[in-house]
Amino acid sequence: MKSQLAITLGKAICFASRFFNIGGGSAAPGLFALRIDPELVEGLIKKIPTNVVITGTNGKTTTARLIAHFARAHNLKVIRNHTGSNLERGIASTLIQNSRLHLEGVNLNFDLGIWELDEAAFNLVAPKVKPDVVIFLNVFRDQLDRYGEVDSVVKRWCETLKALPKTTKVLVNGDDSNTSKLDKCFPGKVLKFGVKDYQISGESISPKRVKKKLDYEAKDIKLRNLAGSSFTLYTPYSILHTNLPLPGVYHIYDAVAALACSSILFSDTPIHRYTNTLKTFTLKTFSPAFGRVEKFTFKPQGLNTFKPQDNYIFLIKNPAGTTQVFETIAPQLKSSDRLLLALNDNLADGTDVSWIWDAQFEKLPTTNYQLLTTCSGTRAYDLANRLKYAEFDPKTINTEPNLEKAFKQARKDLKGRLFILPTYTAMLELQKILVKMGIKKHYWASD
Amino acid sequence: MKLTIGYLYGDLMNIYGDTGNIIALKKRAQWRGIKVKVQLITLKSKILNLKSDLYFFGGGQDQQQELVAKDLKIKAKIIKSEVERGVPLLSICGGYQLLGAYYKPYKGPKLPGVGLFPIFTEASSDRMIGNIVIESMFGKLVGFENHSGKTYLKKEALPLGMVIKGFGNNGTDKTEGCIYKHAVGCYMHGALLPKNPKLADWLIRKALEVKYKKQIELKPLDDTLELQVHHKAIQKFS
Repeated sequence: MKSQLAITLGKAICFASRFFNIGGGSAAPGLFALRIDPELVEGLIKKIPTNVVITGTNGKTTTARLIAHFARAHNLKVIRNHTGSNLERGIASTLIQNSRLHLEGVNLNFDLGIWELDEAAFNLVAPKVKPDVVIFLNVFRDQLDRYGEVDSVVKRWCETLKALPKTTKVLVNGDDSNTSKLDKCFPGKVLKFGVKDYQISGESISPKRVKKKLDYEAKDIKLRNLAGSSFTLYTPYSILHTNLPLPGVYHIYDAVAALACSSILFSDTPIHRYTNTLKTFTLKTFSPAFGRVEKFTFKPQGLNTFKPQDNYIFLIKNPAGTTQVFETIAPQLKSSDRLLLALNDNLADGTDVSWIWDAQFEKLPTTNYQLLTTCSGTRAYDLANRLKYAEFDPKTINTEPNLEKAFKQARKDLKGRLFILPTYTAMLELQKILVKMGIKKHYWASD
Repeated sequence: MKLTIGYLYGDLMNIYGDTGNIIALKKRAQWRGIKVKVQLITLKSKILNLKSDLYFFGGGQDQQQELVAKDLKIKAKIIKSEVERGVPLLSICGGYQLLGAYYKPYKGPKLPGVGLFPIFTEASSDRMIGNIVIESMFGKLVGFENHSGKTYLKKEALPLGMVIKGFGNNGTDKTEGCIYKHAVGCYMHGALLPKNPKLADWLIRKALEVKYKKQIELKPLDDTLELQVHHKAIQKFS
């Protein structure tokens, strides 16, 4: 009864927040419903036969989307927490929105639940979900003002793992020494994934020949610039050729994690040894997660003779992820292209912006960009100063805290492509601006 | 002119963007035509062979900090004699704590520090997080603090400044940091020097004055952007 009341209230808040256009309704309904029924998540999640939990600093949403993509190909009905809402309240909101209330109780008609949890929420929520598969992607320094230090994040994961049932399948990134050592914490089987001749050390992923034992290993990596990459994944029972429409080595890790998870869930048994071998995965219909790497087009303003160009949004949120984005885009930037960076210091971004000094802005070429790089967001000036110390000419840096104005300025007389690099809440704001200007659809309608 | 910056335990003590201080010192010297070398001084390095004109010591995670504390027993004497000689030093958070008299954890005995600053630190369960603005001999300084250790000044200690907004050394006595000769210790991340150019230039000037044994006047730089960051932080947070 308590949970039905909680669900009803949650649904009402969700409706209201969309109706009044407050936001996607991704956290508030769950927050209030959990106050009425703190055991809401356990109760509802039991109704879903299979659940996957994903945690780590970077790549959760992309990995979740990929697993959902594979599951749908198996005609499975998927439920997952969308739009980066990865605390317990986000999961509660998703469950509420998808529950049907009827006289006998609550109905949740799904085959597979995919839940992304942030580093701290994992410890609280994973035991409640009782997942079939747990994925640890990586651990980098993130918003340390919220989570504490990397060492203590790993220590807490270790404690949580000890308490999970032995039958849980635990997938860890074998190239990240922090996640790799989790095999010592779990009494059941721990499977490792990774990329041949790459390793993650500190804040960066770099090519390095090291001997390692991986259960799921990507080999023959071919990077194809902004278009994506291809690789071959060796699993215990199959060999999968994969074309991934996402750029950068960091996305290969997400894809390998997702393929490993899908293999465990749907296919990787000795029976499939032959049928899956040399199967080619072309993820043509897969579209990247909202804002992670997003392509959008608009007609250049004031230059009607130019045809519409592809423009890109890359989410930035911590030193490791940001440096990876720089490494991915730097070789692609042409002199006619421009950059728009947006740094916010809201709670969801992390209130400490010190991390921009750990991200390697020095990897970006400092010249060209049609002589304009725009810095925006609540900490626009901190960002502009970071660029100055990465040897950008201050005269070519345009600082405009208001994101809508900044976007319009960056777009004015633009001949090439615009690369937008926002932090989390700046990205949400950007989506609203793009919708308002008729350049994009609402994100919660298309995610 | 040449400047050698000694990055104390830069491979282990480098969280919260404190590397930005090295970037700021390096660039601000280079923009004035001063040649800069940054040398890492870490576990096992012999500081006697690695004398620098300016030292920086950042914060780290608990595990790394323990390793560094052990190694510092060997290097304590020479670091102290360098500072006595007038060589400037900047230490933030963990580095600041380790240069004090001692650190008292929740359980177990006090861990002795280098004893450079007349301060001591005690573990606490409060986490002091947020933007901080202080008034100091370098004018207002802005940064971001994130610590649970509470640092107390001994009678003879001089604070770096007084808190206008934030917690500072211990959240109660309104002091922040400590200054001894040309050595500065504080809790201010941000990174500190890129947005407090006055302090950055003071460290560079003192380093050159001690090295070349004469008065130095640094060539002024265009700090419009740095001062904008500085003013915006004061406006927004105090």
